[in-house]
Amino acid sequence: MDLGLRGKKAIVTGATKGIGRAIIELLAAEGADIGFCARNEDEVAETVVALKQRGVNVVGSSVNVRDAEAYKTWLEATTAALGGCDIFVPNVSAGAGMDSEKNWWRSFEVDVLHTVRGCETLMEALKASGQGAVVIISSTNAIETFGGPMAYNAMKAGLINYAKNLSQFVGRHNVRVNTVCPGPIYFEGGAWEMIKGTNQKFYEATEKAMPNRRFGSPEEVARVVAFLASPAASLITGANVVADNGYTKGVRY
Amino acid sequence: MSTPPDDRHPDPEALAAASRTPVYKPVRRVPAEQSAVNRKEPDPGLGHALIPKERYTSAAFAQLEWERMWTKVWLLGGHLSDLREAGDYISTEIGRESVLLVKQQDGAVRAFYNVCRHRGNRLRPSGVSSAESFKCQYHHWEYHLDGSFKRIPDLDTFPQGAPECRGLRELRCEVWNGFAWFSLDPEAMPLLEYLGPVAEHLAPYHFHKMALKKDVTVEWDCNWKTSVDAFNESYHVQGIHPQLMWYLHDLDLQIDCYERHNRYLIPFGTLSPRVRTPNTIPEPIKVIMKGAGMDPADYDNPIASIRRDVQQFKRKHGASQGKDYSGLNDDQLTDDYHYTIFPNVQVNTHADDLMLFRQRPHPTNPDKMFYDVWVLELIPDGHEWPERPRHTDFKFGDKSIGLVLDQDAANLPGVQEGMHSAGIDGLWIGAQELRIRHFHKVLEDYLYGPAGSDARGSGGPPTAAA
Repeated sequence: MDLGLRGKKAIVTGATKGIGRAIIELLAAEGADIGFCARNEDEVAETVVALKQRGVNVVGSSVNVRDAEAYKTWLEATTAALGGCDIFVPNVSAGAGMDSEKNWWRSFEVDVLHTVRGCETLMEALKASGQGAVVIISSTNAIETFGGPMAYNAMKAGLINYAKNLSQFVGRHNVRVNTVCPGPIYFEGGAWEMIKGTNQKFYEATEKAMPNRRFGSPEEVARVVAFLASPAASLITGANVVADNGYTKGVRY
Repeated sequence: MSTPPDDRHPDPEALAAASRTPVYKPVRRVPAEQSAVNRKEPDPGLGHALIPKERYTSAAFAQLEWERMWTKVWLLGGHLSDLREAGDYISTEIGRESVLLVKQQDGAVRAFYNVCRHRGNRLRPSGVSSAESFKCQYHHWEYHLDGSFKRIPDLDTFPQGAPECRGLRELRCEVWNGFAWFSLDPEAMPLLEYLGPVAEHLAPYHFHKMALKKDVTVEWDCNWKTSVDAFNESYHVQGIHPQLMWYLHDLDLQIDCYERHNRYLIPFGTLSPRVRTPNTIPEPIKVIMKGAGMDPADYDNPIASIRRDVQQFKRKHGASQGKDYSGLNDDQLTDDYHYTIFPNVQVNTHADDLMLFRQRPHPTNPDKMFYDVWVLELIPDGHEWPERPRHTDFKFGDKSIGLVLDQDAANLPGVQEGMHSAGIDGLWIGAQELRIRHFHKVLEDYLYGPAGSDARGSGGPPTAAA
């Protein structure tokens, strides 16, 4: 099955490591041009070099998505550099934490506002695409309790609601909006690698909670995202796709 | 019986390739020109010989330690917050001896053997308490706080009268920086001379303004030196404390060996080069930030900047938090300045707290020891002095003493078993473990004299192994 991604222009935030990195690797392998950002300049430079070997157009920048102006400027510049935008994957997250009320502000700014600002800034380009697709990265933390009353969980839940509403709002312009909820994903440099080292019991309990006793990988999430982002998923919009390797136990109808 | 021929041929190149130390950029440290406490001592040349395993198991060696070392050194008795009012006392044990450290009417602290002069009964059980006098429960011989006889019931029935000594046998006792010390050696050098540079290094930490938050004694199934060794190196972090690799730099240590004591300086609030930088701040580093008054949720710099930013934050806000950091350099505001005060005191010194270990030999069994943990926290000026926690005493495994120390404790009995095994010849010590070699050198100097180095590399003690 050809996903129809060749020549598409994709913008992904937070893409030098983990799920974000796997998404741009796969999209590039499928022939899409890539614009991405991350915080660390060295890692951005390394990622640009690595992706260009796929023979596609790649632009990467160091951006803090909390900085609304800098973020918007980057989105516009990247759209211009790519010559448009067909796919947007807001992937950056502030991560978990219950340190203080600041976690709520931070998660709101990073997880929610960066997604909303990205969609609003890029919407004209996505409409112009004719096959525009937004894939928002949420989390199974949005659909089942996990780790306590954290801002992360609530904000990730907010994103699912936003995506559904946005899908109705922009559907007539042939822009599809979907959400993916990854379960526990293990990768080098990721949160679960640190948890494996710092809290082995919790790591093992989480591993056991998945029926086949293994963590998911960024590549497996990336395949779901790539499909939803592709014209091959033309009928799917407003959906929340749970890619959790059976981690969540609730029955959803 | 013969040893089977060794036909194994390990590939030296493959071994080297699999074993390389990670490459890392050294952490930024305050140069010694700005802060003399950071001065690096030249490493002593102590050779590469095996450390004999027998010294961990031999009763004869333990006896030699008692005769030539424990009875010659200065020993830590307790914290002065337990000796505030006249009559406050600490009853503590070393080997078979029990010692009373007693606060006097004139404010001094004096130390006595905790033994009644009548028939040798112990006057007080170990622990911290307060008394108006010390009365033996056996026949009610009673002593003043200064150890002198107060009452000998029916003295007129002793035809020889009262003992000619004036009371309890007194020991050398000195106080330093919030702690009371004693020595079983009447000829011991002054405490300050014994502590050497360590006294100067630790002076700015205000230990007298720190309150006990934990006071625990655990009986461990290992020799006291097995425990001392474990805390004298950070090489075991990757194996025993993997979680600390997201908390401290286990390779970029400054090691300094002094005449008797030694130390290492471990950068805290940073990552080990053995792990990848995660995308969120590790929980234990968050604890450091919160301790300083920072909010990790409001922190936007890379993890690599946290150590420096915590130092600067503490420098800026310490005074307003009632904490006097004026005598400490920036590294001391985050890092672990870890000293081994020979023979058995190890202090993890931090700007806001002190985690102290006192390791005591079992009186008769070299395979056992007593591990004392005292955690003290700086009480900021204007804050109320907290209630002292009760001392608890238990065997390993009965209760937790915190994740890190539980991990050490779980490992040490296995190490001790190995000291009895024919499968190992002795301890193979590397440069990361230089303090272990230095500690054993100091011990040997006590046992055999500085000239007794013949015994050093040869396997066992000259007389004790017999």
